[in-house]
Amino acid sequence: MKAIKMQLWYGLLGLGILLGLLTAYRVLIGTGFALYAKTDILVWTIPIAAYVFFSLTSTGLAFVSSIPVVFNAKRYQPIEKRTAFLEISVLMAAFTCLLLHLGSPWNAIYFLFSPNFASPLWWLGMLYGLYFIVLLLSFWRMHTVKTSKGLGIFTFIIAIATSTVLGWLFGLPDARPVFDANFLAMYFPLTGFASALAAVLLFSLAYHHYAKIPLSDGDRNLYDDISKLFGVVMVFTLIFFIWRTIVAGISASAVEFAGFRHMLGSGWYHLALWVGLVIPILLISMPAVRAATWGKVTTAALFLVGMFAGRLEMVLSGLVMPTGPKAEGQPPFVSYWPTIWEVFVFVFALAVMLLIYTLGERKLKLAEVPE
Amino acid sequence: MPKYAMVIDLQSCVGCGACSIACRNENNVPDGIYWSNKITETYGTFPNVRFHYMPTLCNHCSDAPCVRGCPTKAMHKLDNGITMHDPDKCIGCRYCMYNCPYEVIYFNWQDPHKFWEDTRPVIEGGTSSPREMAQKVNNGNGAPYSNPERARTLPENRPKGVVEKCTFCDHRLKAGEIPYCVEACPADARIFGDLDKPDSKVSQLLGKFKPYRRKERLGTEPNVYYIRSYNPARHERTKGGI
Repeated sequence: MKAIKMQLWYGLLGLGILLGLLTAYRVLIGTGFALYAKTDILVWTIPIAAYVFFSLTSTGLAFVSSIPVVFNAKRYQPIEKRTAFLEISVLMAAFTCLLLHLGSPWNAIYFLFSPNFASPLWWLGMLYGLYFIVLLLSFWRMHTVKTSKGLGIFTFIIAIATSTVLGWLFGLPDARPVFDANFLAMYFPLTGFASALAAVLLFSLAYHHYAKIPLSDGDRNLYDDISKLFGVVMVFTLIFFIWRTIVAGISASAVEFAGFRHMLGSGWYHLALWVGLVIPILLISMPAVRAATWGKVTTAALFLVGMFAGRLEMVLSGLVMPTGPKAEGQPPFVSYWPTIWEVFVFVFALAVMLLIYTLGERKLKLAEVPE
Repeated sequence: MPKYAMVIDLQSCVGCGACSIACRNENNVPDGIYWSNKITETYGTFPNVRFHYMPTLCNHCSDAPCVRGCPTKAMHKLDNGITMHDPDKCIGCRYCMYNCPYEVIYFNWQDPHKFWEDTRPVIEGGTSSPREMAQKVNNGNGAPYSNPERARTLPENRPKGVVEKCTFCDHRLKAGEIPYCVEACPADARIFGDLDKPDSKVSQLLGKFKPYRRKERLGTEPNVYYIRSYNPARHERTKGGI
């Protein structure tokens, strides 16, 4: 029975990857990006929102996996190896989204041969490349020998650098003040950390459920601790979210903020606020729900769904209002609904991540506690 | 080394769009992409209404946000002030489009000039297909009216997956000719020249009229200037009233 379930799972992931490969073929070799609901106004849509979602979750996981070495919190050691592997899997999902966002990904070789040090995107590319290598090294060392304090600290530093540089990347253009680099440099690491805590709860509890390994008292205490921390970080995220709404959405009067004001009425915004923050915070604030496995899993899942919607809302808020010559013949705000191909990009990334993680869970003893 | 700039005299501009058509012909600009474009606005309430027309193009900013953001220097500045794009280095991230405050950069979402790949005759049994026409006239290389001179500094047709924008007709400048939109303007509303020469026409105009540039507050230092404004309206002298 277990084998059949596993085959079904692999089949499902294989289907997701096949759909993704078909999308990659049609987008990069065949029809082109006309398959996406992108326009000259909405130049960034689901693939980039999904990239932000996955890459920040990965850097957040780096914070979590570094807790035992950077903050000497030994009680987090049981999840260290799983979290480190999850970082790699999630980062691969981010790279998948990026691959299907770029028009000519093969020209990325010029990151090396023609670097622009003034570009946040160049720094981001190089940092994520370095981050990936350090993650592999760090995990390999964890798997074969023991945790390396040096690599753990290095991973932590690069994770801070990547998530803050992403804030710089969005905040670079003065013409789009709705993306404030100062704000995003705090908001991105914070929300990445929150997403990571949600992912750790989801994947660790799923492991116990599917491997039929009951939770020990130590495990239970650890996951209760993580839930509490998750609750606190969600509250901070909500505070940032509300202040963003007030500063850039309600009190700002400049025309450049009109896109965000428009997005305040969108489903993506309300999904992010209510499903992703308010309901999970209410749930986790109830001791009985917080203590229950279903409570932790539900809260984490809702938060991740809301966070994805929030990433998309954030990307769209700076783009939905056409300006200049591109506003000719357009409504004051353009609407966005993804095409099936854009959904396949997300499905592809998710399938890649889950396949890598499943293989890791089965072959690499992720429940092991490194020395 | 010259510092090229364009002055657009809005009093002379008649809004005919010849600049945009000339640009398409000269640079083989595909459907849906506008190197030369316009902003039109209507003010007032009928019958007191005004129509305003402003031609737009890449501003070739001295401190170009698109150049600053491009990770591979595909978007770069030439010594003569032109903001140039190298499709061979472009990764298609569209960060330049995101950074450009003037909305003058376009992305090739699909292969250019797709219409000319269609194998169906326009009128069944009456005409040839677009593909046959392109094959006959231009060896199937894009549109039949494709201008091969564009290939002197850029691919004749830019491929799918990269951005493109106005280059001030850098290929023509190299041959000692002015940009084709300037050449084609029937009202001489576009004036092109070297800002480093005090006696050039552009320098003279900028000294004579109060010029303005789009979104100057952003500090990007555009090199496309606008002077004057077309308005033939008169009004009877009055103090108004309450």
